Amino acid sequence: MPKQIAIYGKGGIGKSTTTSNLSAALSDLGYSVMQIGCDPKNDSTTTLRKGKSIPTVLDTVRKRSSDLDELVHEGYNGIYCIEAGGPEPGVGCAGRGIIAAIELLNTNGVIDEYDPDIIIYDVLGDVVCGGFAMPIRKGIADQVYTVTSSDYMAIYAVNNLFKGILKYSNNGGALLGGVIGNSIKSSLQEDMIKDFTDKTDSDVIQFVPRSPTVTRCELDGVTTIEGAPDSEQAEVYRNLARKVIDNKNKFLPTPFDNDDLSDWASGWINKLLVNEKIEKDNIQEGSSGI
Amino acid sequence: MTCKKALENKSGILTNVENFERDSVEAPRYSCALAGVYGTTLGIRGGIPILHSGAGCGVGQLFGTLYAGGESAGGNEGGTSTPCSCLVEEHVILGGEEKLRNLIESTIEIANDDLFVVTSGCVPSLIGDDVDQVVDEFRDKAAVIHVNAPGFKANSLEGYNLFWDAIIDQLLPDDAGDIEEKTVNIFGIVPYNHVYWKGDLLTIKTLLESIGIKANIIFTQKNGLDHINRIPSAEYNIVVNPWLGVRAVEKLKEKYGTPFIKFPNVPIGAKQTAEFLRKVGEKLSVPSQTVEEFINQKEDWNYRLMEYPGDAIILVRPNSFYAVAAESSYAIGFTKFLANELGYLPDIIQITDNPPVEVRNEILDEIKNNLDTVVEPDVVFEADTYKIRKNLEDRPFLFLFSSSIESPTSIEDYNALHIPISYPIYNKSVLVKHYAGYDGGLTLVEDIVSSFVGPL
Ligand SMILES: Nc1ncnc2c1ncn2[C@@H]1O[C@H](COP(=O)(O)OP(=O)(O)OP(=O)(O)O)[C@@H](O)[C@H]1O
Ligand SMILES: [Mg+2]
Repeated sequence: MPKQIAIYGKGGIGKSTTTSNLSAALSDLGYSVMQIGCDPKNDSTTTLRKGKSIPTVLDTVRKRSSDLDELVHEGYNGIYCIEAGGPEPGVGCAGRGIIAAIELLNTNGVIDEYDPDIIIYDVLGDVVCGGFAMPIRKGIADQVYTVTSSDYMAIYAVNNLFKGILKYSNNGGALLGGVIGNSIKSSLQEDMIKDFTDKTDSDVIQFVPRSPTVTRCELDGVTTIEGAPDSEQAEVYRNLARKVIDNKNKFLPTPFDNDDLSDWASGWINKLLVNEKIEKDNIQEGSSGI
Repeated sequence: MTCKKALENKSGILTNVENFERDSVEAPRYSCALAGVYGTTLGIRGGIPILHSGAGCGVGQLFGTLYAGGESAGGNEGGTSTPCSCLVEEHVILGGEEKLRNLIESTIEIANDDLFVVTSGCVPSLIGDDVDQVVDEFRDKAAVIHVNAPGFKANSLEGYNLFWDAIIDQLLPDDAGDIEEKTVNIFGIVPYNHVYWKGDLLTIKTLLESIGIKANIIFTQKNGLDHINRIPSAEYNIVVNPWLGVRAVEKLKEKYGTPFIKFPNVPIGAKQTAEFLRKVGEKLSVPSQTVEEFINQKEDWNYRLMEYPGDAIILVRPNSFYAVAAESSYAIGFTKFLANELGYLPDIIQITDNPPVEVRNEILDEIKNNLDTVVEPDVVFEADTYKIRKNLEDRPFLFLFSSSIESPTSIEDYNALHIPISYPIYNKSVLVKHYAGYDGGLTLVEDIVSSFVGPL
């Protein structure tokens, strides 16, 4: 049985970037990896494929093709890349699309055939409907990771995801493996995320700094692991990969009520603002000397 | 589990009018909103339903609506020939608009019909297909409307209301044009769901004709679209139901200023029919002499006819208790007829069409205040067949007027003779039979007496 994990988090927070780098790092460590993008945008695996997108599972449904070889495309270092795909923006039901795609992959022996050591689901945004909760239901992923920054809305989304995990936990659904703090610029941001996980009976597995290397590699159509393997940032992703492999944690998080969450956040946000101002003033003082 | 516990005493009558709430219903005596629109459309000659739904929705209604309505097939446009987008998973995920567009186009091309009723079921409503926009593309090519009728939104009876909302909002012109005097439109009788709809509508038409009023009954009439287009020019609208068609006549009043006359029920038998004719005659300024002459002439023969079975009734089943389980309008009509014209005793009246809370007291009052009898019936709002049956246990009634669901076991379960008068009726072919008007009341007497005389 492969290890199956699902990566969730607010839209644009860095799920696909983190997932792809995690896949690449795991692959470098010698594991056979399958990455499944669960997002109609179809962009989860592009940096594993030199910036090129691949036909999606739902494209084959759309074309009524039964050629399952079209579903899996090899990426960096032989990583199996799959995109669930979905409808055009504004039509149809993307949630049902995720369900159909995952069912198709599971019932047609696609996953068995490739027999990867680890499968990573990169799932879009908030868990807006049942379809996007599919990967955390019984029998799919065993661990969920959530990506967040120190932005209130990102943490808010994590808190909501925790509620989703709780809902499915009674029926053998996936539990929390840990929180990935992304785009970190200061230790205070780390403290805030750490405090959130303390308060919700969960834990941070890795902090990933905000880094221009990531952006540069993305523009070249590659992951940081591929494009800048010797960078500090690549080492961070390799660290994450090693931890994920060893991580046996399955937290049953205790999310905040919405009101409590905003009360908790307002204290931290004030601190962060003050901190930002001090940093800015320091830079200005420094530059005035030139 | 008898209903009595849940009933409260409301000025002498036991009822649950205030507290009827439900989250699950066993074998309800209605289907879903889509079914109501479907049946209503098939009642219009030259109307063709275009179902935007899964394939099962249409086929299901062949059994759930058409056969249930007195074993009636759907004609050229219904049943298995119904145009349907037959949505499958692919359309759920990617949207079903394109398939619908093709379906409307080909239906307009090959069907010999005038009115195209695109009916959205659960799937397009859940995934948010922009059906209005697709339908808009065809509005200049044919008379086409869109009725958004997901099954989860409402029952089949409300589907009738949704149908009229769409006709009035999307098809009828803004301006009424010339008003034609002494003309009326009839609302409140639902094709198929009111099993005797064909005969009842035609009877109302003939009755009104007899006092010089032209009734546009829309359904059953050749060239149905012409009849729909004539709706704005009526002098009055008439609705014969406490809640079905009421929204339509209110809308028409708002849109064209057409006044309406509201009756709680389809008139059954001489007394109700006379009352109906008098009120319509008065509103439409028919000389009362004309009305009274017609009523006298009808009553003369009606009551002579009533004397024929009189002996059988008096000797075998005089002053019997009876139970009714039927849709609002017919429950009211039958209950009044049986008490006021046959001298029968109302035991329990169950209203099965789940009318909105706002009209339940109206229905209750109508029954309470118009019975010529010392016995006050329990009036129960109940849609669940299991509970309807439970409510019938341990009661004195000898006749049960309800759907064919109770037919096979009425004697065994309640020791009562059964007369099928309400949806669903699977055990009778219903064509011209009806209970409206003079003949209708007499037909009911025939049915009742036939159930206990003989066998040789
Ligand atoms: N640690 C980081 N340092 C710098 N840039 C980052 C970092 N993480 C993510 N980004 C950038 O943020 C942007 C959004 O990232 P990404 O597409 O991975 O987010 P996502 O959560 O998958 O978004 P979506 O919800 O739209 O799928 C990208 O341009 C990415 O390069
Ligand atoms: Mg993404």
